[in-house]
Amino acid sequence: MKKLLAVVLALAMLLSMVSLAGAEEVQEITWMFWDDLEASSDLITQGFKQVIDRFNEDYAGKYHVTPITTQLEPYYTDLNALVDAQKTPDVFIVSPGPNLTDYVAPGIAAPLDEYLADGWKDTFAGDAVFAQQTYDGKIYAIPLNTAAACVFYNKEIFEAAGATVPTTYTELLDACEKIKAYGKTPITISAGTAWCLSMLAGYLCDREGVDLKALNNNEASWVNEKTIAAGEKLVELSQYFQETAAGDSNDDATTALYMEDAAILIQGSWAIGQMNGGNPDFEAKCGVFQFPAIEGANDPNRIIAKSDSLAMSSTTKYPEACIALMKYFTDDTAQKYTAEVGGKIPVTKVEYDASKAPAQLADVMKIFGNASATFGFYNESLVSSDAGSYFDDQMVAIFQKEKTPEEAFQAVQDWYQEYFAKQAEKAE
Amino acid sequence: MEKLLRNKTAIILFMAPTLILFTAILLVPIVTSFYYALCDYDKATRAYSFIGFENFSKMFKDPIFWISIKNSLFFLVFSCISQLIFGMLYAALLTNINKGRNFFKNTIYMPCVLSSAALGLLWAFVFHAKVGINTLLAGVGIKGPGWLYDIKGFITLPMWVIAFVALWQYVGQSMMLYMAQISGISKSLYEASYIDGATKTKSFWHITLPLIKPMVGTAMSLNAIGSLKFFDLIYSMLGDKTTNLKMDVLATFLYRSGFSSKGGNHYGYASAIGVVLVALCLLSTFVINKVFKTENYEM
Repeated sequence: MKKLLAVVLALAMLLSMVSLAGAEEVQEITWMFWDDLEASSDLITQGFKQVIDRFNEDYAGKYHVTPITTQLEPYYTDLNALVDAQKTPDVFIVSPGPNLTDYVAPGIAAPLDEYLADGWKDTFAGDAVFAQQTYDGKIYAIPLNTAAACVFYNKEIFEAAGATVPTTYTELLDACEKIKAYGKTPITISAGTAWCLSMLAGYLCDREGVDLKALNNNEASWVNEKTIAAGEKLVELSQYFQETAAGDSNDDATTALYMEDAAILIQGSWAIGQMNGGNPDFEAKCGVFQFPAIEGANDPNRIIAKSDSLAMSSTTKYPEACIALMKYFTDDTAQKYTAEVGGKIPVTKVEYDASKAPAQLADVMKIFGNASATFGFYNESLVSSDAGSYFDDQMVAIFQKEKTPEEAFQAVQDWYQEYFAKQAEKAE
Repeated sequence: MEKLLRNKTAIILFMAPTLILFTAILLVPIVTSFYYALCDYDKATRAYSFIGFENFSKMFKDPIFWISIKNSLFFLVFSCISQLIFGMLYAALLTNINKGRNFFKNTIYMPCVLSSAALGLLWAFVFHAKVGINTLLAGVGIKGPGWLYDIKGFITLPMWVIAFVALWQYVGQSMMLYMAQISGISKSLYEASYIDGATKTKSFWHITLPLIKPMVGTAMSLNAIGSLKFFDLIYSMLGDKTTNLKMDVLATFLYRSGFSSKGGNHYGYASAIGVVLVALCLLSTFVINKVFKTENYEM
């Protein structure tokens, strides 16, 4: 009996080993993202969850992706921790600009040209969508959508206050004055989340005609008439911010618009998904206009644009699985969702039903279509991500009246001088 | 047993596991971080290069470092004094009551065992500009202050708020230490003092206080080290806003420099801040031990 049992067990073990050896290995990959797929009310996040679910279902038994989710604020902290622990996620979301450079320069992100060459690249709206993801002629990330920074406003409050949609900075001040007199907060903004305030500062700098390229090439000084004028306008506008702006997070500030406590929000069109998800009734009341011109200054049709992009780890064991996942993010189903539900601008040639898309997207598309040029967030367009953080801090210091515009821009200039000196030292 | 304790090999064998663990997870990282403090970490190449004391000279010129020092020292002083007073007060009161002692003891001690991150989020809601206390105040026509973002003053309002939350959370720990020490005092000493005509207040001043003095030193050292390393409550209540709100303490400054999305990845610089933090912890413990140096009495 004992012998029989031993033979049966040995056979069972042998069979299971044979079957395991014969089974095809599921290629397990990870994907890192800056929002909670399960809990978020953001419509773009919900769309990403659908992509992940669809991918895992369609490729069951072949590929499987596990999302690693975190929050927006500590996203790069968490990603860097994984990179330093040599556990880089196979695919990760990243903002173009210095943030992406931080992963391209040390070879953490892999070039994707060979994978794009199979016709995938032709599905995109054009080569221009890869401009911010290209280094030395190689593409290191895939854009998923484009968002434009615009001014969102509450049509009902504007009407009740007798304010009109401003096209110039002077008209913006006039509209704010009327809204304030009406008893509502004219502008809701977050200084607690510094990049929000910095985005407004970036618009003011650009409208004033600040030459960012010259600054980044060490051919100009940050302390000049244009930057100082932009700083002064930031101080001028701050009288119309909500009282709690200094401590409010980006979510607090956005909520104030869609819960109708404030009339104006300067934000990227990615907020459409959040606003309509948070208060569906607000969609009909929400209008969009482009950031006003400063009379006699720079081209007023330049807009801040930004795309969410996906990069692939250069150390991934399964590049085919990663590329298959990335293709799911840019296929027609995902891109249609991006426009029709999420309210962001698709990056591919997909045709979508404009009548299904959020009402605000038509306005954003109009602004985007009329744009003479796009430019990045200031904090993502400087010489490094550290420079961007420092710029953000200085703009908050201006808002808090801790520093005058002259002092703040002098501080940025000093930072730049130190940076260039170090670069020169390294070059030697 | 005595024979065993005379055997040097046995002693080494018994101590080895602890020594190895202590060396591997405490001593080696501390010594390595001293070395990293003298290096620069290059984000692009992800490599360290030796730069001597450059990180320290940069740090001493950095205004955020001095804000962090100011705030950390504020926490240290506030925490040591407030926990000494309230911890001792609670301990003295609770050792003198019979009814409900365990209930109050557990209630006061409970926040110590709860997650600081969860408590931080809870208190952040309580002090949020648009909900919590300010909503209650608005209900009675009072405009509440910006509890967590008002940056006026040498020590800002958010610092006071967080210091009080920390007191609420950790006072139970001090109370327990003092209670343990008070419970160990012989009742005969009090009885003798009462026979001599001493009141309860007098016996507290002349018997309890001198006899718990060694524990004051221990509790204060723990408070001081805890305050200097203070991070979790601040971060969970303010997140990445600490710098812009002039709310950095050494630990948040270290975190921001080393790991934050905002200006992070400077591991050498963060290590230099860590070295200052260790030095301050050692210094404060040394000073407290000097001040509260006592003879051990038979109780």
